[in-house]
Amino acid sequence: MDLRDILKKVVLLGDGGVGKTSLVARYVVNKFDDKYIATIGTKVSRKDIQIVKPNLIINLRMMIWDILGQKEYSKIRSASLSGAQGLILVGDLSRPETIRSLESFWMKEVNAIVGRIPTIIVGNKVDLTASNSMAGTILESMGQRLGVPMLLTSAKTGDNVESIFSTLGELLIADLITKQVATKEKAPQSLAEVVDFIVQDFCAQYGDLEKAMLIIQHQFEDAGVDIRKPAKDTVLRALDGLAKAEELSLTKTVARVNLEERQRMIILAKG
Amino acid sequence: MEQDIKTQTLIVMSVAIFATLGVVAFVVPFANQNTRLFFIMVVAVLTGTNVVGLLTVWRSSPTIVDEVFLMTPSGMLLKHYTRRLRPDQDEDILAGMLTAVQNFVRESFDEAGGRLNEIRFENYDILISHSKNIVIAAIISTKKPERLRDQLRTATDDMEMQFGEMISHWSGDKKELGDVDLLMKKFLSGKYRK
Repeated sequence: MDLRDILKKVVLLGDGGVGKTSLVARYVVNKFDDKYIATIGTKVSRKDIQIVKPNLIINLRMMIWDILGQKEYSKIRSASLSGAQGLILVGDLSRPETIRSLESFWMKEVNAIVGRIPTIIVGNKVDLTASNSMAGTILESMGQRLGVPMLLTSAKTGDNVESIFSTLGELLIADLITKQVATKEKAPQSLAEVVDFIVQDFCAQYGDLEKAMLIIQHQFEDAGVDIRKPAKDTVLRALDGLAKAEELSLTKTVARVNLEERQRMIILAKG
Repeated sequence: MEQDIKTQTLIVMSVAIFATLGVVAFVVPFANQNTRLFFIMVVAVLTGTNVVGLLTVWRSSPTIVDEVFLMTPSGMLLKHYTRRLRPDQDEDILAGMLTAVQNFVRESFDEAGGRLNEIRFENYDILISHSKNIVIAAIISTKKPERLRDQLRTATDDMEMQFGEMISHWSGDKKELGDVDLLMKKFLSGKYRK
């Protein structure tokens, strides 16, 4: 299991008054007042999420740049957009013109400054309109045409707001997952190599090498693993014991993910 | 700050002592002119020695760097180093806002694309140095920011030379950052030399 800390810059854009700031306010870490958006054109907050993959845990920190929605301030906006790696485009479902400008204005501007980046389109204020409204339909077809996910949200009720971050988070780490899969293909194949890999992985995640080795030794003895000539059934038994130890030192989710991944490796190993 | 208070105290004490001796030299009736001249010479030598001493103390006192933010030009914090514990501070957000303020000043006041190099706030100076792929902001609370400016420039250039290329392609994965600590800790000590 690999642990990674990833930092990404995400910009929040859309016409003035669509509810960008309210949308994220309760879900991110704020340290500065909203008045900064009006005074310097930007406010920065952050959102941390954890994404668990079969052999990878990613702590993703998204720095959310909430940028002034008035279209006239293009210079200050360009500076804030620089280096953006993710984009949340927000439109107001009760004002169809704000939905249309997502593609006709905001998307074009972002493409011109930072190129194509992972994007999510959000139709906000779903509590004020029916989800099958004209604006919702426009937004849906826009998402399909541009090939980006679309969500209908409400800042008022909190509907789907967390999904914005989890969906965008998945897009932001897609490259990393691809790399990880490529690395995984080179993973050890023989049973002895897999056992060696699991021992190293357990120690690395446990933190305390000495204690980790004692736990491994104890679990291997209990399960009857012959370290010089391991057998699959005994190693699989030992993995259960290691997972129980990890439940205490890490979390239940991580322990379960580790166990499943290790079991898969043992089953696929040669020998 | 502590060093500055000590220096100021020394100056006040020295001025008081030598003012008293000076008054004594000219007001007190000495037995003869040679004695008076000898006393004035002693006062002059002591004053000179004191001035040299104070200058030496001032020059040798280190400039204390309280915090250093190593950032990308787009406002992403690569590393943060601090001498102070500030639990309420969120360094990632602060780095972003510091960049947002720089953007605002640059776009508002400088058509030619200049950069904000210094922010002064009561007891603090924030010195900012830019290169192509790196921005270093140093927060200092001593009163000699000018002594740090050259060090900051040198450190930024060195960082750019060693890590600039890597940072320009940085994916956001902290594991990919090279060993930037060595250079930055040297700078934090206030004695950065090429």
